[in-house]
Amino acid sequence: MVQIYTENLHIGYGERTIVEDLTVQIPENRITAIIGANGCGKSTLLKAMTRIIAAQSGSVIIDGKRITEIKTKELAKKMAILPQSPECPAGLTVGELVSYGRYPYQKGFGHLTQKDRDVIHWALEVTGVSAFKNHPVDALSGGQRQRVWIALALAQETDVIFLDEPTTYLDIAHQLEVLELLKRLNDEQQRTIVMVLHDINQAARFCDYIIALKNGRIVKAGTCEDVIQADVLREVFHIEAVIGTDPLTGKPLCTTYNLIKGETAYV
Amino acid sequence: MMATSLLKKQRRIILLLVLLILLTGLTGLSIGSASLSYAQTLLALIGHGNPMDEFVIFDIRLPRLLITLLSGMALAASGAILQNLSRNDLADPGVIGINSGAGVAVAVYFLFAPVNHDSFTYILPIAAFIGAFITACLIYGFSYTKNAALEPVRFILVGVGFSLALSGLMIVIISSSDKQKVNFIASWLAGSIWGDGWPFILAVLPWLVVLIPFTLYKAQSLNLLSLHDTTSIGLGLPIQKERLILLAAAVGLAASSVSVTGSISFIGLMAPHLAKALVGPRSQLYIPIAVLIGGWLLMTADLIGHNIVPPDGIPAGIIVSLIGAPYFIYLFFRQKT
Repeated sequence: MVQIYTENLHIGYGERTIVEDLTVQIPENRITAIIGANGCGKSTLLKAMTRIIAAQSGSVIIDGKRITEIKTKELAKKMAILPQSPECPAGLTVGELVSYGRYPYQKGFGHLTQKDRDVIHWALEVTGVSAFKNHPVDALSGGQRQRVWIALALAQETDVIFLDEPTTYLDIAHQLEVLELLKRLNDEQQRTIVMVLHDINQAARFCDYIIALKNGRIVKAGTCEDVIQADVLREVFHIEAVIGTDPLTGKPLCTTYNLIKGETAYV
Repeated sequence: MMATSLLKKQRRIILLLVLLILLTGLTGLSIGSASLSYAQTLLALIGHGNPMDEFVIFDIRLPRLLITLLSGMALAASGAILQNLSRNDLADPGVIGINSGAGVAVAVYFLFAPVNHDSFTYILPIAAFIGAFITACLIYGFSYTKNAALEPVRFILVGVGFSLALSGLMIVIISSSDKQKVNFIASWLAGSIWGDGWPFILAVLPWLVVLIPFTLYKAQSLNLLSLHDTTSIGLGLPIQKERLILLAAAVGLAASSVSVTGSISFIGLMAPHLAKALVGPRSQLYIPIAVLIGGWLLMTADLIGHNIVPPDGIPAGIIVSLIGAPYFIYLFFRQKT
């Protein structure tokens, strides 16, 4: 069980501030979505929480320790991150790529123990990509590839997995497939999942907790019923949204929306 | 799990390459201005040949074969590291200015230092090494930016810039000196394997004995470095530290090789690439093969160059370039599509 929260986090590039004085707690064993307009700082927040970029001030705390005080290899046993458009060299096979997930547990040479092999095997099974083990990653379809990258994160055996827009570039069926896989991992293994999502209905359907950002500040953080509200969406996205109930899941659903008259989305 | 078929394939290819190297080596020992039969060569090798054959083999041909083999290996390992670091199949120690740096140092030393014929051959590789090393440090210094991570692409571009600038400097230095000295430098630049005695082997060997196993030890780091930065940090790799260490290893390997063979390009480009085409891009699999291919390529190139136009031959670097340049162009166009 891992506790993660941020304390007065400031993130920026040079003079430009992206995220300002942000304090938020990530609920344990839950799925959390970070939503917001383009450029609101949601990816930046995700990167700062996973030490990909350094915060200017404030801190990210995991298990009572600042992440800057933990060795990067140790941290990799607690949290995994899947970037938005991951790349790997041409010709690398699925099995080889997923085996790299064992790096935090290895010493030099990269020799795999029986335990490593078992974990890799399990990660390939649970994501449904075992059949492609010996196929090059670049020969797979977008949906298969995304499941392979999730398998890589699983091979790290971390309690927390961060994902930056895991459904981008996928068609709607494969988007659902990826989100259901994440939901299952959360249900069956209590993994804490934090992801940046563009689609608010997907966030409402799959996530227990939603953080809505605007200009690097939190507008609202809470359950999907709290956040997927007309007034919140008006402030975050500058839209006039009609909120209904998803007949399949009973979750809030943005059925249709308009831009607010006299304003543009890009102010 | 770990694609055991690939592992078996790797073993088979390694065995094949070792046999190829032995066969080429045996041929290399036999042919030349005093041709021997394979039987004579083998007898001489086990100490039962006639003294004249033994002299030719042990004092002339064997050291030259070994130095080309070792240098080719070092260049291949260096190229493999640089390609993983930069995530670019076109990286090569020759392309990023390490050769030119060594070249300028050799030219300066050769033209301006008092030449003492006894110590000359031993100081020249040291000069080349220092030149290569200073160049690498300068490239690193210029591609370093505060606040930001060392960008491999920036490193390569600065390296290419340095390579061109240093080549220009070399022309300036050469044009102001007398003809005889220019000849030596020109042949050094063409990669003429001039350091072909046992002492040079002893000078190069320690670098390889340390750095090639080190490269393999770092195979998993090299694997992760060939992914996205975010992915490799997320997997727990301290990328800045690992990049710096591996860069130093690549420079050490290239500099030790260049210092005895002269400037040789394309081995570091071709060998890793051919190996990746055979067994894929995982470092544990392809680097040993790349190292063997590199050694064999340079050995073969020198064998051809040395025997094709007696008595002086064509520098190995030129033979390598004749094969390497079209390969480079092929790669370049393939990468663009």
